[in-house]
Amino acid sequence: MKLQLNIWRQENKDSKGAIKNYKLNEVDEDMSFLEMMDILNEDLIHKGEEPVVFEHDCREGICGTCGMVVDGRPHGKEHGTTVCQLHMRKFNDGDKITIEPFRAKGFPIIRDLAVDRSAYDRIMQAGGFISQNIGSAQDANALPISKNVADLAMDAASCIGCGACAAACPNGSAMLFVSAKASQLNLLPQGQPEKAARARAMVRQMESEGFGGCSNYYECEASCPKNVSVNFIAKLNRDYLCATFKEGT
Amino acid sequence: MFKYLNHLVVSKFVMAVTGIIILLFVTGHAIGNLQIFIGKEALNAYAAFLQGLGEILWIIRIVLIIALLLHIITSIYLKLYNNGARPDKYVVTSYVKAKLNSRTMIWTGIMIAAFLGYHILHFTVGSIQPENYNQEEIYTKNAYSVGMGMNAHIANPEEHRGSVLNKVVYERHDVYKMVILGFRNPYVSGLYILGMILLGFHLSHALQSFFQTLGMAGPRFSPFIRTFSNWYGTITAIVFLIVPLAILLGFIGGNV
Ligand code: HEM
Ligand code: FES
Repeated sequence: MKLQLNIWRQENKDSKGAIKNYKLNEVDEDMSFLEMMDILNEDLIHKGEEPVVFEHDCREGICGTCGMVVDGRPHGKEHGTTVCQLHMRKFNDGDKITIEPFRAKGFPIIRDLAVDRSAYDRIMQAGGFISQNIGSAQDANALPISKNVADLAMDAASCIGCGACAAACPNGSAMLFVSAKASQLNLLPQGQPEKAARARAMVRQMESEGFGGCSNYYECEASCPKNVSVNFIAKLNRDYLCATFKEGT
Repeated sequence: MFKYLNHLVVSKFVMAVTGIIILLFVTGHAIGNLQIFIGKEALNAYAAFLQGLGEILWIIRIVLIIALLLHIITSIYLKLYNNGARPDKYVVTSYVKAKLNSRTMIWTGIMIAAFLGYHILHFTVGSIQPENYNQEEIYTKNAYSVGMGMNAHIANPEEHRGSVLNKVVYERHDVYKMVILGFRNPYVSGLYILGMILLGFHLSHALQSFFQTLGMAGPRFSPFIRTFSNWYGTITAIVFLIVPLAILLGFIGGNV
């Protein structure tokens, strides 16, 4: 099939970017979206132009490295998939596709479609861990955890940290990510001792990285490739407010 | 005092708590208004009862004013902050779950605030249609005085069989007449109807947002409260606006 691609090109963080148009004439419907981008880049290299920079790694939806905004939707219009899992059969011959980088103050653009998501790493460093003295591991069944709680914690832990939530949020808020990463620990017994400190430290770090606050638009949930629920944001609010009431701001 | 604005989650907490205080008041107000359909006596007695609350009325007013001011200040601060967190707009925008009501909270909010100013000047202060506002109702109660000119109220007229009994005459603000005359003006009614639609729109996002902000969410509760919230906004708007609508169409107030 034939496609017209409108792609955001930007030299670096400080330069002004713009949409540039490209045409692809032979796109196979069995290609993945990123394979289509590879074909485009090969074309560009043959012509002596700069290829479009975009990030990718596993190409099977588990690493969270890929991410671009396709026609206004992070990871494209499909629900519950990353852009590397998006296939060209979801598009029609002659489609115009607009491709932009994730946009949020917390994600400065490195080049073209690649953005700096190290803010998410720093949020993890602020509280996305438990402190535990090293020793031999205890028996797994010494710590009873109900199936419901284990499942819920697993749902939170399915976040791959791709950044689509902040990219989708009109406020550029990373609350879905922060809440998933805080909840995967705060739900479990191992996470209890540092629960309050974790909720605060991670939200504070998110604030200082320049992300906005949650206005309950729920747009993040609609874009999340792992369908992480906004109910975790409610839980994070609860953990944070409890911490504030107990210990002051 | 405004240090809480440095913390996004606390700011949202302030939005939620102040918002729900106003929401509860608004709900009570909407229900109270319905007494206009019972008639002049019911509405004017209700209004006089509220006026008669004295200090309690002022406590309620002060709580509402503080809640409203905090709600407005926090919302403007949050809006500016959040806009700053998304400095570059997308070339193509597409929303799935962020519905129009959630994306327009600040605009419906500001218009509600403007409407509120008008409404208070109109019906509380009385400076917008003073000729309608300055209406007194002369009415009698089931209280009597004995003999000519005596104004002492007596509880049980039966005990004074044989004496001359006069019904005691009172005067109170004729809210019924004020409202009927006010809403007969189609421009005034139109403004109120518009204001109430905006309010309903604001509330349809606000109520469920309150629960989410305070951390009450779940796989069964959240879908329920979101649907409930839409209905709540719609019904509140309808309960408010049937009053001007009924007056405009002449269903009530024909006797004024
Ligand atoms: C009758 C008057 C009003 C009522 C009953 C009301 C109620 C509420 C409630 C319950 C919320 C939900 C809080 C939350 O997100 O948890 C809310 C949110 C909001 N209100 Fe109001 N409100 C009123 C007037 C206003 C006014 C006058 C403004 C602004 C000038 C305003 C701006 C906002 C904004 C921007 C939000 C969303 C905040 C956010 O999510 O970031 N509201 N309102
Ligand atoms: S490349 Fe790993 S999730 Fe897409």
